[in-house]
Amino acid sequence: MDSMVEAAIWFWIPLLLVPIGLWLILSDKSKNLGKILSTSGFILVLISSWTVPSSDSTAAGHLLLSILAPTLLLAYGIHGMVFGGNVPVGKLDSTARWSGIFAVIISIAIFCLMHWYNFTPLWRDGNINPYWIVFWPTFLIFSTSLCSAASLALISFGDNRVGEAVKLAGLSVIMAGVTLVAIIFDGYLTSAEEFRDYLWLAAADIIGTITGVILAIGAFAIVIWMYEKSLPLPENSLPPSDEEIKHVVKLASAHIGGEEE
Amino acid sequence: MSNTGSPWKLLSLAAALPILVIVAIDISLGDDIHPDSFKRFGNALLTSYVLTGLLLMGNLFFYADSRHRPLAPFVGMMFAVGIGVLISWSLVSYDDLLLEDNSGMRAQMLSNIVRLMVSSTAMLLASMLAIGTTFAMITGRKRRVLFEEEE
Repeated sequence: MDSMVEAAIWFWIPLLLVPIGLWLILSDKSKNLGKILSTSGFILVLISSWTVPSSDSTAAGHLLLSILAPTLLLAYGIHGMVFGGNVPVGKLDSTARWSGIFAVIISIAIFCLMHWYNFTPLWRDGNINPYWIVFWPTFLIFSTSLCSAASLALISFGDNRVGEAVKLAGLSVIMAGVTLVAIIFDGYLTSAEEFRDYLWLAAADIIGTITGVILAIGAFAIVIWMYEKSLPLPENSLPPSDEEIKHVVKLASAHIGGEEE
Repeated sequence: MSNTGSPWKLLSLAAALPILVIVAIDISLGDDIHPDSFKRFGNALLTSYVLTGLLLMGNLFFYADSRHRPLAPFVGMMFAVGIGVLISWSLVSYDDLLLEDNSGMRAQMLSNIVRLMVSSTAMLLASMLAIGTTFAMITGRKRRVLFEEEE
């Protein structure tokens, strides 16, 4: 089979199934079909480096599979940290907060070991997965940036939240520190110089992606606004007939019980 | 709200400042801006524009039941996405303006989609960490008594 057709069957079509499945889930029409489509599509993308090893694109699937464990640990940790605190619903045991903090620290440590130790995701012939060096600087820059913004947001929008904001700023400084260490010291399979190059590309990626998303949402808003504006004003409906009033009264009396006081 | 000024400008500055500091340190180490940065920015912008447009078009189709699936916004969005595809195609093929280390236009576009998938995953994970930690900070504080009646 042609390698392009193989890549289409085992990588691109499954990748396409993920949003289609999510749309079906969200539209409340065929929830089960949607779940099956998105889950099977996602699994096929994850294992695509075995199903179509000849395709370069499947390195992305390989990377997603490599970071799955620390990602799940991070999600578990965040869940424990949030719901182990003072929440009105779904409150977990107070130890969940500490185990959550521990899980988050371990997951970030695993990501660091993937850069500086032999946990690095390997691709063909023992070479580093080309998308790891796209993922890692993007994650570091974006988390540094977001934690810093979130820290200021706590002070701006919250009331007496200086202590919490300082802790968040601390996390931002830690992530910036990890970035600086990667800028200065070589990784297990990537040099500091390569990382610095990809840092620029990651910044370009983040700014470009956010600008593109904002432009698309803007275009969408303009299209909807123009369509709604072109619609005629709704006409006044006729007053209800005697028959309709009788029907409404009948329905109301059937649903309102109790004696008059 | 403790600050009555314009917090959005401050928030943007807070988000941009760490990146500027890192970039400043990078430059001080003798590095120059990567030559492919503009190409990467252009490719990321156009790819995310087209893909987000397609996602929104999908939403139009799946959510438009109550409005009897009007055709006009769907066509409008197709036109908007079509412009994005046309600009991508022309910039990649014209004088290799946006062509990176790929053999041709098709390879570049597929590479853009895969790269966007990876960088979006990184951004999602970072958002999960930052937003999750923010909520953890908020829920971590002991409940304060606002009114005496609560006791």
